[in-house]
Amino acid sequence: MKAITKEVLKDAASRLMFDMSDEQYDTLEKEFEIIIKQMKLIGEIPDVDNVEPMTFPFDVTTDFLREDEVTEPLTKSDALKNAKDVLDGQIKLPKVVG
Amino acid sequence: MNFEAVIGIEIHVEMKTKSKMFSSAPVEFGAEPNTLVNPVDMAFPGTMPVVNKQAVINAIRVANALHMKIDQELWFDRKNYFYADLPKGFQITQDKRPIGRDGYVMIKTNNGEKKIEIERLHMEEDTCKQLHLSTYSLLDYNRAGTPLIEIVSRPNIRNGEEAMKYVEQIKSIVQFSDVSDGKMEEGSLRCDVNISLRPIGSDKFGTKVEIKNLNSLSNVEKAIEFEITRQQQLLLSGVPVEQETRRFDETRKETVLMRKKTDAVDYKYFTEPNITPIKLSDEFVKNAIETCPELAASKKDRYMTILGLNEYDSDILIQDKDVSDYFDKAVKFNASPKLLANWIMVDIAAYLNKNNLKIKDLQLSPEHLSDLIKLIEEGKISSKQAKDVFAVIVENDASPIDVANELGLVQMSDEGAIFELILEVLKENPQSIEDYKNGKDRALGFLVGQVMKKSRGKANPAMTSKMILDELKKK
Repeated sequence: MKAITKEVLKDAASRLMFDMSDEQYDTLEKEFEIIIKQMKLIGEIPDVDNVEPMTFPFDVTTDFLREDEVTEPLTKSDALKNAKDVLDGQIKLPKVVG
Repeated sequence: MNFEAVIGIEIHVEMKTKSKMFSSAPVEFGAEPNTLVNPVDMAFPGTMPVVNKQAVINAIRVANALHMKIDQELWFDRKNYFYADLPKGFQITQDKRPIGRDGYVMIKTNNGEKKIEIERLHMEEDTCKQLHLSTYSLLDYNRAGTPLIEIVSRPNIRNGEEAMKYVEQIKSIVQFSDVSDGKMEEGSLRCDVNISLRPIGSDKFGTKVEIKNLNSLSNVEKAIEFEITRQQQLLLSGVPVEQETRRFDETRKETVLMRKKTDAVDYKYFTEPNITPIKLSDEFVKNAIETCPELAASKKDRYMTILGLNEYDSDILIQDKDVSDYFDKAVKFNASPKLLANWIMVDIAAYLNKNNLKIKDLQLSPEHLSDLIKLIEEGKISSKQAKDVFAVIVENDASPIDVANELGLVQMSDEGAIFELILEVLKENPQSIEDYKNGKDRALGFLVGQVMKKSRGKANPAMTSKMILDELKKK
């Protein structure tokens, strides 16, 4: 696995279009160190190759499917309430492709 | 060196369900932006996805039509990526357990039939529509969450024609099964092509290029043929093909670079924990398949074996679901299938073409078209007169017999009335009777013509001819 260094975190932050202070990067780096140590511990559990990953706490299935019926959607103003910038009823973003 | 192309195609089909894949917001085309969204589509905290039953039925129908193994337990996965087109930060799809696996479809090419193998078919949700302008992008979430079927072929397509026929088959299946509009130009059927070249005989794959933005069947063929030539020229001049995404430029008729593929994105797929695995009963699957609207192949077979149409006509009728549906409705009213097919393919097609209409916009009901043809079959009007009636009813769907009467076209099929005219004509033309007796067959034609004239064109010509002949024999 890729080592989590300050450079990796900075690169990830830049891809997600935000930045932090050096102090915050230090804190985050340390937190990752702890998480990775814990993961290593889990990785040391023997004989798990043939164990199926467990996604659900119980081994159950359902047969429920939603009928294809429409309910009232949000009003346009509610749908756009969280958007910082709106133009022509659409959410306006900084340009995301070149 | 000779190369062969290795082509695989991914097709995304937007389903025409009433509601979305995981939410009950409406699915519509062309609505005002951001008016068809609900909290699930916007990923508001606490919302949960609930699988649409009709979308599952649709996926089963298409998987069955493609001869696939159907997984009767539905599992969904998260495809994680950070981009504004899906506000959740992931797309819900089926990665590990697609609903359909290992199918095939038969295509007909100029080199005969070929089996195209299909690796998988899975359900997922569509993303929002992005409009990229010069300095900003606009987002419309109406499309976000629309149910999609993705169909992935195995790379055993070899040229543009095969690719085009393959897409055409898939399009026909999703349209006839009522799963989708399948309109490439509107994006309800979208296809991405992966294409690489390798020396003939090699079993290794070359570097593949992805082509996007193929919005018509003919562009699929053209783009692939162009791309094969482009890659061939690169390889022959010793330049390696680069892994990249290209799009087809319609005006320049060539593929152009969109972006180079650098590092492959890791989507970190994992099981969607908010959807408990769903078990589909045998009965549910069976029912979905049995209630599937009739597909083109079955219609063609029925037209040929039961209705007695030839292959050429049958093929034309099944090119468009709406046309074949119109034909099916008209046939129920008992007119001759052959004549119906002809009228639909010639007269109706010409009318629609001239007025730039689709058969769905046609005023003329299948019943009245059938009635018109029955008038011809019963000898009440000639084929030529039927065209005049057609010109009226195609605009207003009036009853053909009423229009024929109004236009004074209904043929005189009343034997008594025709007989009177025949006696008059024979009396006025003794010379023609003589001529006929002396073996001049043309005399008969002349006499029929005279009767037609007296009836102002309304006498049934076949009937008149037969009756004159009977009379002449008596003389």
